[in-house]
Amino acid sequence: MKSGLERIDMGNRFGSAGVQQVYSDVEAYYGAQVAKHGATPRGVDWSCQATQSLRFVQLLRICDFAAPFALNDVGCGYGALCAFLDLRYPDSRVDYLGVDLSRAMISRARRRFRRADRRFSIGKASPRLADYSVASGVMNVNVGYSRAAWEDFIAAVLQDMRRTSRRGFSVNFMSDANGASEASGNLPETRLYRTNPERWIPYCEDALGCSVETLENYGMKEFTLLLRCRQNLAEDLPLRH
Amino acid sequence: MGAMIKDSTTLEILVQLNKRFDTESLPEMIELQKEFSVFSNKRSLRQAFALLGIVPTDWSERRRWYKFLDHLKTYPSDLPKVNGHDRVIKAFRDGLAAAAPIPISIKCHSAAEDPRVTVAKGRPVVFTIETHLIVSIPTTPGREVRKQAAEVAKQRRAAKKK
Repeated sequence: MKSGLERIDMGNRFGSAGVQQVYSDVEAYYGAQVAKHGATPRGVDWSCQATQSLRFVQLLRICDFAAPFALNDVGCGYGALCAFLDLRYPDSRVDYLGVDLSRAMISRARRRFRRADRRFSIGKASPRLADYSVASGVMNVNVGYSRAAWEDFIAAVLQDMRRTSRRGFSVNFMSDANGASEASGNLPETRLYRTNPERWIPYCEDALGCSVETLENYGMKEFTLLLRCRQNLAEDLPLRH
Repeated sequence: MGAMIKDSTTLEILVQLNKRFDTESLPEMIELQKEFSVFSNKRSLRQAFALLGIVPTDWSERRRWYKFLDHLKTYPSDLPKVNGHDRVIKAFRDGLAAAAPIPISIKCHSAAEDPRVTVAKGRPVVFTIETHLIVSIPTTPGREVRKQAAEVAKQRRAAKKK
């Protein structure tokens, strides 16, 4: 039987150097977006605050708000989820860590939220193990990479989320079932990654050891995967920074 | 619209609105209304449209757009004792919560012909197949407003000379 680490690293087709280049290009892309649109939903490629919040509603279904918990927000941008948490769950105790590749985004997030339980870190993966992780819209804009290369990047992000989450994590994808979407503004179709749940469910179940719940039909041309960790791979795996 | 925002901004906003509430985007709007009560008595039209990102791309026009939305409170509507602002909110709220929601279109009509905000069902453009809920805003085109203002100024100058 394969160890968690062997299973988690399989299927990476273009190597770590290639993935590094993708991370670098993603950082450049979102740095430019926030410079152009500021700390607004458009700065992170969403059309408006309402649709951004509706995505948060779906992603946070992975969390049990009955007790305090630690949450990693991967690709946190300017920290929009912090504001949403305060508004939607004012009485909940959430130890939040936002992680983003873009220095410009993190800089804006730190200026907006100065609290002990709202922290931010520059990087591609969370430097800590948390109860849950969420990632909104991280997989959508392929910054010009081929489908295969972009899927390697997605697999790497999912692996990192798995190894830094104790209980579960959630991600969203643009659906390939309904054609054009409002997400990602006026970007050409070739720059967008669309997929279906069946593409990623087997990977999350077999390689990441998760049980998967798919959320669809919430009015948007996308779907959200809620991934509950079946075994504690995190304890076997070193954290990547 | 008219005196308050540029005619080009009016057109831009109409395009944005009609795209967000067309047949294709309607499920998203229904869900947003269900989840966040975007259109309600507790939220102004300015807040609702800000939440939906329905704003002019030209930053300098945004303030005027919001001012116009507030100004709708001074407009009459096709319902007694309901002002234009509240009528628009009611139309969106009721439309999105309907048992069988239909797309919503916004259009403008001449304020000289009818100064009220009106709501009706129909086909907003000739090639539309489906019935829409049509919210119509009374508008005076910018050039007419400027013409009227120039006429008033001319009369004032003439009166001063006498």
